[in-house]
Amino acid sequence: MNEFTILVHILSKKTDNFEIGATKEEIIKILNYQGKNESVYIQNLIIHLSNYLEPLGLQIRFNPLSSRWYIAFEMATSDLIYANPFEGKPRLAATLFCVLICCLKNTGIGKIHDIEKLRKKKRVIDDLKELRNRGYIDIDDKLGQVRLTPLIGYQLDLNKLLIKLTLKLNKQR
Amino acid sequence: MEESKDLSEEINKKIEDIQLKVLSGEISLLDFELVPIFENIKNTLSISNINKSSMAFKNGFRLLVQKFEELKILINSLDKRDSFLHYLKSNPDDSEIYQLFNDCWVKPFSIESLSLNFLNYSNEKLSKERGIPITIDHLDIIKVKQNFLLEVPKLKFTEKIMNFYNIIKNKFPCSFDEIFENEQDQVEIYEKFVYLLHLLQLNKIKYEKNTNTLYI
Repeated sequence: MNEFTILVHILSKKTDNFEIGATKEEIIKILNYQGKNESVYIQNLIIHLSNYLEPLGLQIRFNPLSSRWYIAFEMATSDLIYANPFEGKPRLAATLFCVLICCLKNTGIGKIHDIEKLRKKKRVIDDLKELRNRGYIDIDDKLGQVRLTPLIGYQLDLNKLLIKLTLKLNKQR
Repeated sequence: MEESKDLSEEINKKIEDIQLKVLSGEISLLDFELVPIFENIKNTLSISNINKSSMAFKNGFRLLVQKFEELKILINSLDKRDSFLHYLKSNPDDSEIYQLFNDCWVKPFSIESLSLNFLNYSNEKLSKERGIPITIDHLDIIKVKQNFLLEVPKLKFTEKIMNFYNIIKNKFPCSFDEIFENEQDQVEIYEKFVYLLHLLQLNKIKYEKNTNTLYI
């Protein structure tokens, strides 16, 4: 057994319903690394493991919402094997988009009222409940706000989405 | 060597095409992968085509700088979060937003059975030293004078059935339970039950399902 065997295990391990993989600190602790430059060490390990996994159609990704590294199928393979979870439900996708904009603007928490305003709809609670059932958000009824769970960070390439949106906006100008 | 020379010319031409397409707005450098171009330059580099390869490298590098500039502009515009709100104010319909999500979905790789315990177990099993393979010693064949015959039952099967029938016929009409009420040995009960089934099939005994009664 070597570091890669352990890394594959911890980066593909589901810790609960919303969390997969491990943070940098957890990796260092599990591998019992005691040398200097731990960030460089981790980066090298991840690059090398990534090179090993690439021919298998896998890649190592980082979830910015939970700061965890995890293993995923590469994007082209994901497109083939994983249908869009909102297939046939553009309404839900649009609501999720508004939730993302609201939450990312306000450090992870968004007001339901603001989401309704963005969606230009009087009632979005049914969509929000469905998003909650799918594990993407938590709803605080008392405070009237929603919070993103880390799950969307694993299933959606947020950077790519924001870049796509920026390019779209640049074209529109 | 002649082939390498042609390839470096091809690369130069390709770079020119890309520059033209970028200038005409046909493609964006951000969507274009430059690494294969530099890989090709590296692979075709030789002393004979060093001048042309250098030119290709210079032009490729110019594209790279241009790409960095575009990336800088993009990163700066990413900071302007209000622009996303501006996009929503343009009233995009749900299907347009839905399309935006396309190609952004990721499938995490998570297999529950891929556990450290299982890997340890497999490792122990696979690395275990195997003992000396078992050899099969064949038995010596010895000639014997006696004849071995299979044991044959003393009575024929039909005779056994009829003997059973003669024993129970006075009990009819009765239920299944009464037939076997004095039997203790499970093997015997099974054997006699088989006889009973045969007697039913031969119509020597009849059965009334509603009252659970056997009769002649």
